[in-house]
Amino acid sequence: MDGKATIIVHQFGRGPFCPSFTPFGVKLETYLRMANIKYTNVNDCKVSKKGKMPWIEFNGQEVNDSSFIIEFLNEKYKQDFNSHLSSSDKAVARAFQKMAEENLYWCMVLHRCVYDKQDWVCKALGVNRFLAWLFSRHIKSRAEQQGIGRHSFEEMVHIEEGDLKAMSEFLDTKKFFFGDKPCETDCALFGQLSQFRWQLPGTKGEYFVNEKYTNLREYCDRMMEMFWPDWDKCCSGDNEEKKEKC
Amino acid sequence: MASNNQQPSIVIEQIGRGPYAPSLTPFAIKLETYMRMAKLQYTNSHRRKRSKKGKVPFIEFDGQEVNDSSLIIEFLNEKLNIDLNSHLTPSERGIARAFQKMAEENLYWCLVLHRWIYDNRDWIMKLVGVPKIMAWIPVRLVKKQAEGQGIGRHSYEEMVRIEEGDLRAMSEFLDTKPFFFGDKPCETDCALFGQLSQLRWQLPNTKGEYFVNEKYTNLRDYCDRMKTTFWPDWDDCITHGGKVKKPKS
Repeated sequence: MDGKATIIVHQFGRGPFCPSFTPFGVKLETYLRMANIKYTNVNDCKVSKKGKMPWIEFNGQEVNDSSFIIEFLNEKYKQDFNSHLSSSDKAVARAFQKMAEENLYWCMVLHRCVYDKQDWVCKALGVNRFLAWLFSRHIKSRAEQQGIGRHSFEEMVHIEEGDLKAMSEFLDTKKFFFGDKPCETDCALFGQLSQFRWQLPGTKGEYFVNEKYTNLREYCDRMMEMFWPDWDKCCSGDNEEKKEKC
Repeated sequence: MASNNQQPSIVIEQIGRGPYAPSLTPFAIKLETYMRMAKLQYTNSHRRKRSKKGKVPFIEFDGQEVNDSSLIIEFLNEKLNIDLNSHLTPSERGIARAFQKMAEENLYWCLVLHRWIYDNRDWIMKLVGVPKIMAWIPVRLVKKQAEGQGIGRHSYEEMVRIEEGDLRAMSEFLDTKPFFFGDKPCETDCALFGQLSQLRWQLPNTKGEYFVNEKYTNLRDYCDRMKTTFWPDWDDCITHGGKVKKPKS
């Protein structure tokens, strides 16, 4: 890639205990840091043409969906952070990423928006209770369309534990999911796990990552130290000034 | 038979036999293949009943309803002391689950979109007997579900790209192995075969069919191997494009 591109990442705003409320925001920014690509965050809560967030403007061109954005940037910058993986490992990497983003993700969303009455989320986003209730109903409907929303809370926790146990057993004592060197897939897996590690207080999901499958907790801390030395500055905490209102 | 106790009565509630595979739903093929792999005796019922969760297939185990194909398999594993993944290492079990979830929560939606929205709409409506004037009802439902899940927001080309990514991953992981985890099939093969069987036999003239049957041909060969191993009566369990009105139940 010749010349400097202007990359603007459109996001919700900083989370209180994680740089984003959405795992896909953490995934994308971690990738940009792994790739040493300069970017600017704009916390305007503007959704993409597909109604999703985050999305980017690359020299003014809209690119959306975190996975497509990464493929796009890999092509533009001629880089591949999974290149050291064997064909079989690349396949396994994709499988874990899809499990985390298409299955485990829904458990996170249901904990936060439906089951565990995460009032702190409303407070952190500056959203009133009525809007929060509306949003909760919207998420429940989407989860039912996807399928996981038809299960009971206990069944959902069972599914969630199955995914986290699988990740924990595959990670085992490795530093990163595919060895000593982090790869592109670590960005996606860290994105999902970061929510469980830091932003699902009092839930079974948090318990699984922080207390039961503790190699996942340690993995999250390792990724944070490596790619987010400024983590504390990128979390709004209880600091009213740092909160971005939509 | 895995249990030494009196045999339980297992009835699988299904939606009827498919034209070129034993079911139009990958989850029924998964479940029946599991039953055959575990050598469990069962009966099929094709009353097209839905479970309390609105899903099919589901089972009645000694009269008790159990639903969701994965939860059914876990239930039976526990009740009857079965573990068809027992020869896998913990790391392999982790990988097995990841592939199963990718196939069932991601690839599955590409199959659904090919069939009901993009490519096979007329074919499937005729097959299941939906008059043209009412075709908009299942189409609207599927669109809503796919948008809720997320994949429905992508363009057709993007969906095909996602689909190919999943199938390439399965093909590369399978490589030259007879089954996904070696020489011996395991529980996860039932789930993966369930999904792949639709692309292999029941998504005519779609990119999905092309990927399995022509591009990533080890997946085609794998499907044929699973069919030969667990479904010697396959031809009796399909309607041959609707020509056989009463196939084997």
